[in-house]
This record gives sequence, C-alpha cells and structure tokens, in this order.
Amino acid sequence: MTLHARNLTLSLGSKRVLDGVSFTARTGELTAIIGPNGCGKTTTLKVISGEIRKAGSVTLFGRPLEAYKPWELALRRGVLAQHTTIAFPFTVREIVGMGVTAGTGATSASAEEQAIERALAAVDLEGFAGRFYQDLSGGEQQRVQLARVLCQVSAPVRDGEPAFLFLDEPVSSLDIRHQLSIMALARRFADAGGGVIAILHDLNLTAMYADHVVMMRAGTVAAGGAPQAVFTDDTLQSVFGCTMRVGVAPPIGTPFILPQTAIH
Amino acid sequence: MSHSEVPLGRGSVLQANGRQGLAAAWRLGDRSGLAMLVIIGLVIATGAMFALSVTVGASDASVTSLIATLLGFGDADAALSARDRIIILDIRLPRAVLGLMIGASLAVSGVVLQGLFRNPLADPGLVGVSAGASLGAVGVIVLGGTVLAPLFALAGIYTLPLAAFFGGLATTFLLYRIATRGGQTSVATLLLAGIALAALTGAVTGVLVYMADDKQLRDLTFWGLGSLAGATWSKVVAIAPIILVSFLVIPFLARGLNAITLGEAAAFHMGVPVERLKRIAIVAVAAATGASVAVSGGIGFVGIVVPHLLRLVIGPDHRTLLPASALLGGALLLFADMIARTIVAPAELPIGIITALAGGPFFLWLLLRGRAQLGL
Repeated sequence: MTLHARNLTLSLGSKRVLDGVSFTARTGELTAIIGPNGCGKTTTLKVISGEIRKAGSVTLFGRPLEAYKPWELALRRGVLAQHTTIAFPFTVREIVGMGVTAGTGATSASAEEQAIERALAAVDLEGFAGRFYQDLSGGEQQRVQLARVLCQVSAPVRDGEPAFLFLDEPVSSLDIRHQLSIMALARRFADAGGGVIAILHDLNLTAMYADHVVMMRAGTVAAGGAPQAVFTDDTLQSVFGCTMRVGVAPPIGTPFILPQTAIH
Repeated sequence: MSHSEVPLGRGSVLQANGRQGLAAAWRLGDRSGLAMLVIIGLVIATGAMFALSVTVGASDASVTSLIATLLGFGDADAALSARDRIIILDIRLPRAVLGLMIGASLAVSGVVLQGLFRNPLADPGLVGVSAGASLGAVGVIVLGGTVLAPLFALAGIYTLPLAAFFGGLATTFLLYRIATRGGQTSVATLLLAGIALAALTGAVTGVLVYMADDKQLRDLTFWGLGSLAGATWSKVVAIAPIILVSFLVIPFLARGLNAITLGEAAAFHMGVPVERLKRIAIVAVAAATGASVAVSGGIGFVGIVVPHLLRLVIGPDHRTLLPASALLGGALLLFADMIARTIVAPAELPIGIITALAGGPFFLWLLLRGRAQLGL
C-alpha cells in the first residue's frame, strides 16, 4: 500500500523545478518532505496529487495516477493546500460540508451533521460551524480546510482501502498548541493505517512525528530515510547551507523551547 | 434519533424545524433550511407575479375569468370577451412566458459566470457576453435578407437565437482564455478584457447598424435597449429549446461550482473534473444568454443584482442559489416589464431602461456596502 513517485521532472520556463525526484511513501507512515524555500516541495505535492500532469510517473496503490478519474482520486487522497482563499461568504459548516459531498457523501442529514461536527472537533474548532470563513484568522482558516479534507477521505482505512493525506505546510500558520495537536492528528491517521505526506518546515516537529523524511534541495532528493538517519550535521549543512549541530543545547542564557517536552 | 430522517438534500428542513428550529440551524452555519423556505416563497411569488402580469394592463381581466377561459369552463359571463381573449392569450401570455424564461436565464447565467470566475462582479452584461450575443443577433437581422439568407432558410425561426448563441459563446470563450492563466482568473484582466471585447463587438455591431435600412434600424434601436414588446408564441418556441437544454444541464454544475469557490486546484482535489465543468458552464451560459438576447436585446443588471441579493439571504451554495436565482430573476423581470408597459401607457418603455434605473444604484449600494466582504 504505497505511493511511488519515480523520476519527477518539470521545467517552468527555463527553470528546472524538479529534476528526477523519486521517493516512496507508505500507508501507516508519516512521510515528511522538507527542504529550503523554492526547492520544489509544493511542486512535488502538486504532481503526486494529480494537479500537474506529465511530470514523471506516479503510482498510487499500484495504479498509475492518470488511470484514476477525479472522483476516484478524491476518495483515495485528500489534499490540504498552503492557502485557500474563497470567493463567496460561506460559513465554516458549508465549507466542511463540501468535503462530505466530495467524498462518499452522507446517507442522511444527521450523518452529515455528525461528520462535520466530528471533523471540526478533531481540528479544535468546536462551535465554529456558524462563523463565516472570511472572518477567521489564517490559522483557523487552515484548520477549517483540514476539517474539510478529513470529511472528504472520511477514514484512514475504509472498507479495507486506505487513503492518503497530502498536507502542504499544515502547521506553519498555527500556534504551538495547534501545531502539536494537528501533528498528533496526522500521526493518528497514519497509525490507523492511512498514509500521510506532509511538507514541513519545523525540523523538530519532523523529528518528533515523521517515520520517513524526504529531504529536497534544488529540485532533487538530497537525502531520504528515518529522521535519525537524515538529520545529521553534514546533511543539514549541505541542504540548508547553515552550520547547525543536531542535539546540542544552546549556550546558557539563551531561552529555547523544545516541543518534544510537550505532554499529551 | 427521535426526529424522522427525511432525505431533503443536506441538513433537512424537517430536522431543523423539528429539533432546533430554523434560527438554530442558521446559527450553526446551516442555511439550507432557510434556503428551502425562500425557494418555496419564491415559487409562490413568481406564480403570483405571472398571474398579475397576465391580468394587469390596458385591458383588465380578472384572474378567475382568465382561469375560466384557459380551462374552458364557466358560463359566458365569467369567460373573457373575444377581444380580451386575443389580448391575453396571444399578447400577454407569451410575453409573460418570455419574461419568465429570460429573467431566469439572465439570473442563472450571472450565478454560473460568477461561480466560474470566482467573482461576484461577473455578469453577462458587464463582461461582454451579451455584447457578443448582440453582434450575432444584429448580424442576422441586418444581413438576414441578403448574405445570410441561406442561413435563415436552413434554421428558420431558430436563426436569430442560434446566431446570438454563437456570438455569446465566442466572446465567453475568448474572455475565459484571456483572463485565465495557469488556472487562476485575474479579476482585473477579466473586467478589462470584458470591456475591450464589448467595445470591439460593439464597433462591429455599429458597422452593421450603419448598413441597416430604415425598418431594420427601428427594430434594432428598440431591441438594443432591451424589451419584451412584440413577444409572440413563435419567439417563445424559438428560444424555449435552447433555454430548456441549458436549464437541464446547469443544476448538475452546482456541486462543481461550489468546489471551484475554493479554487480550481481545490476543486480538482475534491474530485471535480474542472476542465469539463468549465467547458459545459461556458456553453450553457452562452446558450441561455444568447437566446435571451436574441429576443429581448440587452437587459442589464438582472444577472448581478439577483444573485447578490440571494447570497445575502441564503448564502452562496449553488445547489440552492441556482433555483432561487432562476425564480427571483423571472419574477423581477415580470415586475419590471409590468412597470415598463404601464408607467407611460398606452406607450411603453424599453424594459432595459427600468432594470438599469433600478439595478445601477442597487449595484453601487451593494458595492459600497460589501466592499470588504467581496474582497474588492
């Protein structure tokens, strides 16, 4: 039960955005894509979600991506974009409800109601159903979109068929508490048999939650593997271009926060 | 669950009424119950407006006598006189049917274009679709006796609506190609390209008008201002198939148009075949607008005022916005037409003047009031 991306290559104008990106993501695992700004992380996510076509070969659950109809894809993977602006004044409930409609749909009005309430509770937005999307903060909007995506795929595994979540910077606009709770949510999705591919910027959160790390640099995969294997002084130096040392406390007097100390 | 689960689409009215009430459902962000009530209200209001527009006019006839005549029962006193029969059956009835169809078409075209372009300012009149349809129609009117005569022979009464349809289709398609780049539609480009296309097609239309003879000129002038005058059953028959086909298709676009509100990429992620949706939507809008323009000329602001008004009340969900807009559009146009033909009776004003006079300031008011919310 995997997603295979093989030799993804894409040029935009004269710039080569992706240059032979290959990786495998498994269900039951949280795969993190990390790397400096502009290294092709979002583009990679767009290719594996089917949004950008003809940029290499992607197989999802053993079937080429092109062989899926759009609605079939919608049942097997949900995509959370970095930002979502909406054109009309929808309420939070209506937006999350679109996720239900996009998935298998609800058998009854009360089933839909429950699915929406559950998803909003999962992203810590209970009581937000009646608010207008445009009135929310950026972080709250991002969590509403995540609730919509959760309604669309509905379960990590449904009728024996697992689903993937593709998350583009799911926690970058969130406060620390919600960063942790959303990462924990993604973790639970993977533990329950679903697959998660998340673009992350926070190396600590990546180390805490990811099973597999795809580290990108300038349109290529610079390193791949478990966080312990990938996060070394040398790779961080060569990928991000700044000298850091892994697992060493800063000098005395500098406050630093370790999210790893959070208890949940 | 104590309440009965009656499938009425999502968030059923019965459930909302029975358990929490409409206000509670609204507070929870569920406006579908309210939307159902509004639609039911609009069905009644539109029916009433239709009856009113058939009975009110220079020659008055009561609703009961009308029904008696139509159904062919009742005594001679109750039924209409022969003269009134002609007025009602051959003049007012086709006019009311046309008004209903055209009002609904314009409003629904507005909703679809606004959803497609993700912008509440898109309107067949404002973005040049009507101008393209006009060009097609004027071309047929002016050249129909000469160059385009074979076309008339081929398509008969459908020539005018078909020409307007293709004119509208060409401009909508061009507009879409110009304003959309990489799946993103630029609002500024959209509006400016619409103005440019309207100017361009207007210029070509001008050349055609210049070539027109006196009789054609008189037809064109009145038609250009927008009017339902001269409605006949043959005009109804000419545009009804085109409008009906687009009305059969458009409800299937509702779910996709909702998803496109979040952007084309998000819509694709949610399983919507975006490119196909866009193609179908453009053809449907061109058909509905083209057919309307062909018989009534350019009637502005219906496509922008009606959806705006309804979004304020029932929200932007296209599954309810589309039917509600069709009803309100039809009712409003019938109302405008009643004013147009009674205010200076026995003469009448072009209906386009009425809709522009009422719609223009209303549109400005909406803009000033909702600037922040509309993201302008």
